[in-house]
Amino acid sequence: MDGSYQKSGLEALVDDRVDEGVFRVDRSVYTDQDIFDAEIEQIFEKGWVYLCHESQVPDAGSYFASDIGRHPVVVVRQKDDSLSCFINVCSHRGALLTPKKQDKATTLTCRFHGWSYSCDGRCIRIKNEKEGFGEEGFDRSQYNLRPIAKLANYRGFIFGCLKDDVEPIEEYLGAAATWIDLMVEQSPEGLEVVPGSSTYVIRGNWKMQLENSVDGYHVSTVHRVFASTVRNREERESLQGLKQTEGGRLVGIVPSGAYDLGNGHMSIWAQHTTPERRPIFKKKNWLEKNLPPAHVQWILEKGRNLAIFPNVMLMDNPSTQIRYVKPISADRAEVTVYCIAPVGEDAEARSARLRKFEDFYLTAGMATSDDMAALEDTMAGSRASQTKWNDFNRGIQTMTHGPDEGAKAVGFDPVSSSESWENETLFFGFYRRWREMMLAQE
Amino acid sequence: MDIETDLKHEVADLVNLETTLLDRREWDDWVDLFAEDAVYWVPSWANEEDTVSDPETQLNLMYFRNRGGIEDRVFRIESRDSYASLPLDRTVHIVSNILVSNVKGDEISATANCLVHSFGKHGSQNRASLYDFKFRKSDIGLKIIMKKITLIDDMLEGPVDIYHL
Repeated sequence: MDGSYQKSGLEALVDDRVDEGVFRVDRSVYTDQDIFDAEIEQIFEKGWVYLCHESQVPDAGSYFASDIGRHPVVVVRQKDDSLSCFINVCSHRGALLTPKKQDKATTLTCRFHGWSYSCDGRCIRIKNEKEGFGEEGFDRSQYNLRPIAKLANYRGFIFGCLKDDVEPIEEYLGAAATWIDLMVEQSPEGLEVVPGSSTYVIRGNWKMQLENSVDGYHVSTVHRVFASTVRNREERESLQGLKQTEGGRLVGIVPSGAYDLGNGHMSIWAQHTTPERRPIFKKKNWLEKNLPPAHVQWILEKGRNLAIFPNVMLMDNPSTQIRYVKPISADRAEVTVYCIAPVGEDAEARSARLRKFEDFYLTAGMATSDDMAALEDTMAGSRASQTKWNDFNRGIQTMTHGPDEGAKAVGFDPVSSSESWENETLFFGFYRRWREMMLAQE
Repeated sequence: MDIETDLKHEVADLVNLETTLLDRREWDDWVDLFAEDAVYWVPSWANEEDTVSDPETQLNLMYFRNRGGIEDRVFRIESRDSYASLPLDRTVHIVSNILVSNVKGDEISATANCLVHSFGKHGSQNRASLYDFKFRKSDIGLKIIMKKITLIDDMLEGPVDIYHL
């Protein structure tokens, strides 16, 4: 698309002819800045987006600054333990309210002119109010912070929406909710974000980050060097148990699958050939005692990546991760990664979980760095308009409409199931949701 | 503390040699500067002002409990099979402010600053780090037994490997 964004032109960017064996996406969805601007308005500022995990706002007054499109927002824990979320902007002149990303405060005080707000958003102090606004009949409440329209907590994962007219979060997550459940139910005390994080910039489009996180097809090429590196290490150092890496899925053909979960959510799984190397394996007995067998099997034996439309990915593989993506421009996005782990995990398992995370997941790690390089190359290639179609046809003939046996066993209902994580049918749902939101009228 | 001049020189030579070997891609000689039990630690940032403080229970950018960790990195670079490491970024390390901070028996502590200029597919960039070293004296000279790299940059652009640090 050249020039201004036209809804009429968007329809043709997703070539959805599954009956004819074709599903393609025009790569200008990655490169066109007008499309990007429309995405912020139509997707990020009108639908649910992920904000943070509840463990990041543990106590009354704890806050976590996040974003909904162009709106800086802040999630704040209240005295009654509930959560609120406000536009993180002073009502006076628009300065950001919180000095840090994450902290604890008794009031939210603007550092520009000193206006103060209570943690429940009331404007409680205006510096030199009487001198400026008079003594009589001045109503400070007109300057209360603006709450966002909708805030929801699904089992610890906090989502927000700027628009009132939106489906309940359970309905929005749909089949993806079961995938969150499979992480949360691993500990009776829930999950926690471990201290430390890393933020990196990808020189590519935000949608490529979502795609990469549920792309099983690249694993045996991009990550075979990871597999050979850790194999070399394990032989050199004769490592055993949790110190070994689950490498089976990286190199061989193992049972696997991919799901279009509906509403743009996507997921993949691959069988662990050596589940005893995973930190969660230490809780096998507890899991078997407390959860249905199908859940235990999914938790222990299936490495899982989940992409929740439009801005968060949850990985439960040898390590466990929240990956948050913030779009900056068509060709740039910020990604922040956190290790999320069961509360009360024993020290050996926690340490193993962190070391596996550092091995694989970071821009300084030995796999995510390779993912980034590949992603950035696809961004460069996407600018070639003479070869504009991104091909997502793999698996189109063999996919199952609705759930397969594995999905039925734990009770989620995907739009389609694929019997290999190398298949790309899960992206149909992502781009159908994308197109639907981009074309939606007010 | 009165630290002998020879020791200061020996430490400075080793710190300068270490980064020179990285820039010259003399990987095996670089690994040899480290003792087998050397800890290599790049903490992540816990918040805007502080890094994590306990590498065992918190998330790091890199944390190797022994020399095997950097050997893994060299193995990966030399495999020519790592997407992020082919082609390799070019780097120049500028090390300064080398100070011996403590000598206790055979163990020596030192700090330094490092600015790394790198150039790759997406152009050039500079990243800066604080170095904390521990060395052990032995018959064959000093060996690195700990290198902690506090990378002051966050919002990292592009991959970060041992030669960028």
